[in-house]
Parts: sequence; structure tokens; C-alpha cells
Amino acid sequence: MSDTIHVLTVDDSASMRALLRAALTSRGYMVTQAEDGVAALEWLSDSAEEIDVIVTDINMPRMDGFGLIEALRSQVRFRDCPILVLSTESSDEKKARARSAGATGWIVKPFDADKLDTALRRVTH
Amino acid sequence: MFVTTDVQGGRRVRRVTVMQGQVYVGTGEPEMLTTVLGSCIACCLYDPVAQVGGMNHFLLAEPSPGSGTIADRNYGVYLMELLINQMMTRGGVKSRMKAHVYGGANMHSGMARIGDANALFARGFLRDEGIALVREDTGGESARRIEFDPVLGRTRCRVIEAAAAPAAKPVVRPRQVGGEVELF
Repeated sequence: MSDTIHVLTVDDSASMRALLRAALTSRGYMVTQAEDGVAALEWLSDSAEEIDVIVTDINMPRMDGFGLIEALRSQVRFRDCPILVLSTESSDEKKARARSAGATGWIVKPFDADKLDTALRRVTH
Repeated sequence: MFVTTDVQGGRRVRRVTVMQGQVYVGTGEPEMLTTVLGSCIACCLYDPVAQVGGMNHFLLAEPSPGSGTIADRNYGVYLMELLINQMMTRGGVKSRMKAHVYGGANMHSGMARIGDANALFARGFLRDEGIALVREDTGGESARRIEFDPVLGRTRCRVIEAAAAPAAKPVVRPRQVGGEVELF
């Protein structure tokens, strides 16, 4: 892995994607963004680029975050890739479902860029 | 959130007052969501197929880039997402949602035109998210009282005396405002 951490963020909100991009690029991350689970899987399928960590929303059209996590964990290539959920939701039920699907952790929106940075570095090292 | 119950035409209707920094999505029961706005914005979203609607009420658009400020419940960028997500959990579909935007008055001449900035943000956000803006009543120097029926998707906007608008000030929040991390 190079020193630069490559993050794939998956969120249907254009405004949230812009906030994430600004927060992550200013902290030295390389950022790729997808607007939902389907777009993320398509990009990952077509791209030869290495992704170090995935940050995904839950409530998204076409394919939600749970579906994305399950789809990724079914592929050998992404079996060990850290996947963090970033969601406005915080119920134990949803967290348990994410954990069962194979998520690495859960971050509650609104996100604190410094806490997100710490979590990303922790799960990628 | 203030909740009262009125009897209208023989049926009981819950009146829910959506205060600054709050989001409320209808339960499907007879309800009327209300709020009073000065420079703040209330966005009402409605999915006519799922017949689910909700309202938010935000103070400011979004934090300045690089300010280090968390986009919390004072900001439209967070409360819009919260509203959309809560609508989706009640069966709403983003591409079907219609928006009404109210407020954004510039209450004090000579001061920063916060109301204009808020309305500009709301329009831009909805455009970027592909949500149709079907009605807007923003700007001016007067306060507004909004009523929104989340089942029927009907709104009513009345201009009221500026003095009736609540003072716009940041929501007092706990130190741990958000971004809590839990690693499994």
C-alpha cells in the first residue's frame, strides 16, 4: 500500500459527497466517490485501482449500504477491505445488521472530520 | 417539538410544531406540521405515491469550507439529508419527492443577507439531489407561518409580523455533537 490512503465513499447525497471530499482531500486522502451501491460495485468491477477503505451511507436508492456490504463481502477481493458505515441512523438494530453483513464499524452523521480521519487511519493500519 | 391535538371537522388532528434544528416526518395519521420562520428555511418534502411528507427547519446553509465546523443540526446540509433519509425509511422514494421551500427572509436591513444565502442553498441542494421544487416563497423582510399536511402534501404559507418570528440563533448542543465512531 502506498502512503496515500484511497477511500471510496458511497453516498446518494451530492452535498454530503462534497463535504466528504473536502474533509478527506484536505487530510491527504485520495478520494473516489459513488452515488449508490450499484455505482460503487460498477466502479469497483471496472477499475484496477486498489481501494484501501470504503465509507458507505445506508439509505440510498437502487442498492442500499447493507446490500453493498453483502455484495462486497461475497467477493474474495473485498473480503478484508475495511468498510465503515456513515449514516444519520444510529439504532442498535441497524448497527447489528451492518455488523452481521460484514461492516467494520459505524460512524454517525453529522460526521466530525477529525474523528473520521482517526477511524480511517485506525482501520487501514 | 411541540405537539397539540385539534379537532377539525370531527376528526382529531395532531399539530406538530417543527422548531429550528428539527426534522419531522408524518406518521400517516392526521397531522398538521407548523413552524414560524424568519431568516430560517423550512423545506417540506412530499412523496405523492407513498403519501409521506416531512418538514425540516434550519438556521444556516452549510459550514464555511475549512472552518472545521461540523455540519450539525444548525445546518441545512445535515437537516436536508436527515429529512430525506427519514422519508425513505417511511417508504418515500427520493426521485418521486416534491419540495416546497419557505422562509429565508432578510429580517434586519444592513445585516448579512442570511435569508438569501439560505434560500440559495436550498434551491441548489434540491437541484443537485434531483428533487423537484414545486413551490417556493422566500426572501423579503417578513416572517412566515407555514402549515403542511404530510399526508396530502398541501402547504399554506402566510406572512406574519416580523416580531412573531423566533430569534434565529444556533441550537445549543452537547460537546459530543456527532460523528461517534464504533468499530465492530
